[in-house]
Amino acid sequence: MIDLLHAELKRTWIQFIRYPTEVISGIVIIIAVFYGLFASAQYIAGPGFAFGDRLDAVVIGYALWSLIISVNNDIAINLQIEAETGTLEQVFLSPFGAPRVFLARAFASLALRLVILVVVVLLLMGLSGSRLAFPPILLLPLASLLLGGYGLAFLMGAAALVFKRVQQVLGIFQFLLLFLLAAPLEESTGLMQYLRFLLPMLPSTGLLRDLMARGLRLDWLTYGLALLNGMVYFALGLLVFRWAEATAKQRGSLSGY
Amino acid sequence: MALGSTHQHPATPLPLLPSSGKNFKISKDFICRWELNPFVQLAHRPTDGWAENSLSGSIMLDTRDLSKVYGRGKQRFEAVQQVSLTLRQGEVLAFLGPNGAGKTTTIKMIAGLVRPTQGQVTVAGEDPHRQPRALRHIGAVLEGNRNLYWRLTPEENLEYFGVLRQVPRKVAHRRGLELLARFGLEEKRQTPVQKLSRGMQQKVAIAVALIHNPKLLLLDEPTLGLDVEASEMVKALVRQIAQEGRAVLLTTHQLDVAEELSDRVAIIRRGRIIAEQSTEALLREFSSSTYHLEVEGDLSPQQIHTVTQLGATVQGRQITYAGPPETLYKLLGALSPVPLVSVQRDRADLTQVFLKLVNDQPDVSP
Ligand SMILES: Nc1ncnc2c1ncn2[C@@H]1O[C@H](COP(=O)(O)OP(=O)(O)O)[C@@H](O)[C@H]1O
Ligand SMILES: [Mg+2]
Repeated sequence: MIDLLHAELKRTWIQFIRYPTEVISGIVIIIAVFYGLFASAQYIAGPGFAFGDRLDAVVIGYALWSLIISVNNDIAINLQIEAETGTLEQVFLSPFGAPRVFLARAFASLALRLVILVVVVLLLMGLSGSRLAFPPILLLPLASLLLGGYGLAFLMGAAALVFKRVQQVLGIFQFLLLFLLAAPLEESTGLMQYLRFLLPMLPSTGLLRDLMARGLRLDWLTYGLALLNGMVYFALGLLVFRWAEATAKQRGSLSGY
Repeated sequence: MALGSTHQHPATPLPLLPSSGKNFKISKDFICRWELNPFVQLAHRPTDGWAENSLSGSIMLDTRDLSKVYGRGKQRFEAVQQVSLTLRQGEVLAFLGPNGAGKTTTIKMIAGLVRPTQGQVTVAGEDPHRQPRALRHIGAVLEGNRNLYWRLTPEENLEYFGVLRQVPRKVAHRRGLELLARFGLEEKRQTPVQKLSRGMQQKVAIAVALIHNPKLLLLDEPTLGLDVEASEMVKALVRQIAQEGRAVLLTTHQLDVAEELSDRVAIIRRGRIIAEQSTEALLREFSSSTYHLEVEGDLSPQQIHTVTQLGATVQGRQITYAGPPETLYKLLGALSPVPLVSVQRDRADLTQVFLKLVNDQPDVSP
């Protein structure tokens, strides 16, 4: 399993780095977007506004959002690409079984994305001369967020296996996700206050906002629920993925018949 | 090592399962295979630990009544019907049939990629549909030229797929280099697959399929789309691979490929196997019993008379005879003492066999 993880990291990295012009242009685009965001936030806040939690929150928030979006689409998009290029069936020939392989792939691509993100943030700090504070406690809700995020990624992957063309669905889904992640449901009262624990990733994003923007301390009970939420969605994702695999094998449509 | 250790073959051949019908003619054919196939040398034993094969010829692949129905209702389509095959180590079986006959579907059912509607697959004693572990025994090159990651080099592909097939990383790397050397790809090992010729890509794909030392190699149309030179290369590789003691199942709609490579042929048409026999026997069965003789020197009128009486026709020094084989010896006796140049029997090639079979078979409606 360690070997598999290593191999996936290596493969992901080589495929990423093989054509350096692609890499550089990609990074430049990300930096431009981030820098624009950063600068406009500064502009809106006004010159008198001291760099503080708010601005950090904007940048980190955007970074997280882009991370989650790419995590969510990751498995589905790669499944579709590999079905088109023809390597997918070779992957399904692995004695590890597809879920484990795709899990290892998910870790590998997450690692790559985190590396890119860190590089971008460091460059951004160099450009703007400001510092972003990243308290380590953020890692906890981030972990539960990613767990749920990968759960959804497996659900999307399952959809890609069964329905093949999922581009449009992914687009709509991305929009819904933006709405979900931005809506501060943790501020709501009444029934919604409880229902939000059933929706994917919401408890974790609420906690992140508490920590980053509201300066609250981590509430362990809420975190426990957020973690449970992440695990349940992750398990659900894996379960549905296995069902989708069986269905595709039944239809003979793994490679996209 | 992850492979091989759990499956020591018994020293004695596995008893053949009770023969039920025409698909189990194998044992006899297998015995005479060693004489018939010029490519198999009994003495050949790989020394590098590649295959721990005994010559017992244990069964590597066994399929029972494999059937696949695609779709439902009006779209219902029986792509494969009751295909039973047995394949032993060191044996090459060509799965021959026109486009759309169900070859790819069968191969994918064997590889666990398509779920059979009915029937069972056993590869080295394990069922790939029940136990993913069974996939350790299977290497496959599927149809088309896209079995590899195009951005990776051959070396990187081999290592990656090795690990994906549960070979420890270091072992995968070393074996990868060995395979590249053996396949004559050393110089290209650092070139992204994308930039290789189609023939080289196919060789790399075969190498990748062998990286975990599988007992069964599945090749779907391995020479399709290759130029003459590349397909000769691939054919030579397939022979080598079988010599190492692996079982090879290849599909093809090209008759010459089947004829040159296979020990046995299974001819499939509209999802059903319509003939399955050793290639040699199949050719023999369909060869006519017409003999062509050539003599050196002229026959006497008396000889010509006798020979004609026996049912042959004489044209100068050429004699053509079509009749029972026993009479052939009388004929030869009658020719004595004129020196013989050659005696030849008309030989069918697979093209004739195939056309005959495909045309003769009445359509069996389900
Ligand atoms: N996934 C699928 N869904 C529906 N029909 C299929 C599917 N795969 C193959 N077929 C049909 O089954 C038949 C056999 O196909 P295939 O096994 O690819 O044949 P071959 O490899 O011998 O050319 C064809 O008529 C093909 O159209
Ligand atoms: Mg085919």
